Amino acid sequence: MPAAGSGLEYALVGFGRALRKEGLVVGSGHILTYCECVEKLDPTELADLYYGGRSCLIHRPADIPMYNRVFKAYFLDPGGEGKKVVEMKKQASAETEALMEMLMEEEKEGQEREGEPPSGIMASTLEVLRKKAFGECTPEELAALRALMARFRLIPPKRLTRRSEKAHKGKRPYLRDTVRKAMRHGGEITELSWRKRKYRQRRLILILDISGSMSTYSRALLQFAYSATRVPGKVEVFCFGTRLTRITDTLQKRNPDEALTEATKAVFDWEGGTKIGESLAHFYKNWGRRGMCRGSILIIASDGLERGDPAVLDQAMTRLARLCHAIIWMNPLKGDDPNYEPRSVGMSCAMPFVDVLLSGHDLDSLKELAEVLPTLN
Amino acid sequence: MGALNSVEDVTQTLASQAYIADRGLSTSVYLALSLGRPLLLEGEPGVGKTEISKALAAAFNVELIRLQCYEGIDANQALYEWDYTAQLLYVRTLSSEQAKGTEALDDLFGERFLIERPLLKAVKAGNRCILLIDEVDRSDDEFEAFLLEVLSDFQVTIPELGTIAAETRPLVIVTSNRTRDLHDALKRRCLYHWIDYPVLDREVQIVKARAPEVADGLVRKVASAVQRMRRLDMAKKPGVAETIDWARALDFLGASNLDAKTADETLGSVVKDRDDLDLVRESMSEVIK
Repeated sequence: MPAAGSGLEYALVGFGRALRKEGLVVGSGHILTYCECVEKLDPTELADLYYGGRSCLIHRPADIPMYNRVFKAYFLDPGGEGKKVVEMKKQASAETEALMEMLMEEEKEGQEREGEPPSGIMASTLEVLRKKAFGECTPEELAALRALMARFRLIPPKRLTRRSEKAHKGKRPYLRDTVRKAMRHGGEITELSWRKRKYRQRRLILILDISGSMSTYSRALLQFAYSATRVPGKVEVFCFGTRLTRITDTLQKRNPDEALTEATKAVFDWEGGTKIGESLAHFYKNWGRRGMCRGSILIIASDGLERGDPAVLDQAMTRLARLCHAIIWMNPLKGDDPNYEPRSVGMSCAMPFVDVLLSGHDLDSLKELAEVLPTLN
Repeated sequence: MGALNSVEDVTQTLASQAYIADRGLSTSVYLALSLGRPLLLEGEPGVGKTEISKALAAAFNVELIRLQCYEGIDANQALYEWDYTAQLLYVRTLSSEQAKGTEALDDLFGERFLIERPLLKAVKAGNRCILLIDEVDRSDDEFEAFLLEVLSDFQVTIPELGTIAAETRPLVIVTSNRTRDLHDALKRRCLYHWIDYPVLDREVQIVKARAPEVADGLVRKVASAVQRMRRLDMAKKPGVAETIDWARALDFLGASNLDAKTADETLGSVVKDRDDLDLVRESMSEVIK
């Protein structure tokens, strides 16, 4: 146990709990590891406490700012629990000083940023942050929809992978098995075992437009997305209005209503305007390019009424089309009209890159989606 | 493995191999060594995740065993494989009497026909090596689960030969480019460090250490330019490796100064994406000052 006295253990455990309160997943295992780490380091050196904790308590770069905030409050600020217990060296090392400066700077920046309006929200008359309560749609309607949608199975098409497995008939011989069988016959190869390449489902990516013009459809589509993620396979769900957010994780919650309410909380823009191009560009840069899109099926549900720069949409679609296996666009304005010709600027930009245009305005069209999907090979 | 008694020791040891590490990274490495846990390094491409393993291996004078992950990698590629073609040929050379005996089977599935792949080599080498599992995010979930198993027990069971357990454990460094989220279990097992792009002074230090032939003034100009470039909205931001390449390229061409013209001519060594090239050329006045 750390030699600096049992107060140190309490301080370390307390720090772990403080992080937990901020929403970070910190288990007792992690805190134990933290104590082990501090034991190997110098507990009176602030930099060691900081970096030691960072090695075992956080696992994503996105958590670093929050870690810094909690660390400063706990170990540096006068009221912090840690500060009372852990005595720092009189002569702080150069690194500790640099660290303290960095933490102070960050906090100041954070406070300044709070004063300004958050970036990304433009001063447009239509963009008001409102949350539309799900009570607008009667619970019975939602429940009925949900029940029906749960019956749809989204089966994405399959693709060949590089792995192979033993098979009765195949193109390439499976040497391991062949040799074993040969052993039974004194080394004579009397039969060949075969292997063939495995198939794997392509990933499905759903990007839903939930801006004002899409509000009547988006709720139902969100329900559909929820049902879609219940099915095993890789489905990712995103929402956008003026900004894009990933809601796959929030949709994993068990209680469907809870999941849907949380999803709307996560996406602040509700009935605002639409910046399809920017949102898709954001998707491409932060997820698509990093490998999510490669070989996957992209489903974009939007009416194509773009408020932003069409050139941005064009560029985003070009890039996405290069990466994804197929792009399906669901435009409720199409309705039941099989000869629908998209007129809006946004749609005209996007159409050359779209492989299949569906409507998604009612249950039948969603059924159409489920039917079209397996054929996209 | 040499004994490192403090975080400072780690920094000095790495510096002796021309690898400049900041306090956080040295702390993580020190803890990984002291606690015997694997170290998971994440960061943008080109910040030195793979380089640090090479530096450590050179510093401790041990072998660097590298397992490069890719999509579709399976346990055989990582652990071991039998040399089937050799086995078949060997069987053909035996007489029919010999082939039926158990000795032949022992021979066939013995060390002679065993192709050792990186993980098995690492288990056998123990702490006489450093195991680098590179770009684990390119593999899939099944492989990750398998990797976790091996990393926990550090032993390999080959049905025909038995269990081979490591007597001592090596330092394990796992790298990831963050193209996907790794499984929680793997993250929990490892210590974690995120390597960010360095600040200007540190980047200058790194380039000087790696490319000592380049003039100081040029190094600083190049590093400043790259720092400004990273603030642009590039799809693929240049890493430290690119800064070093650019500095070397300019030095090789005999450029003593970095101006818009030389930058334009040598941009290919630092920017590798068509759209980014256009973007940087447009913003050249911001980048080159």
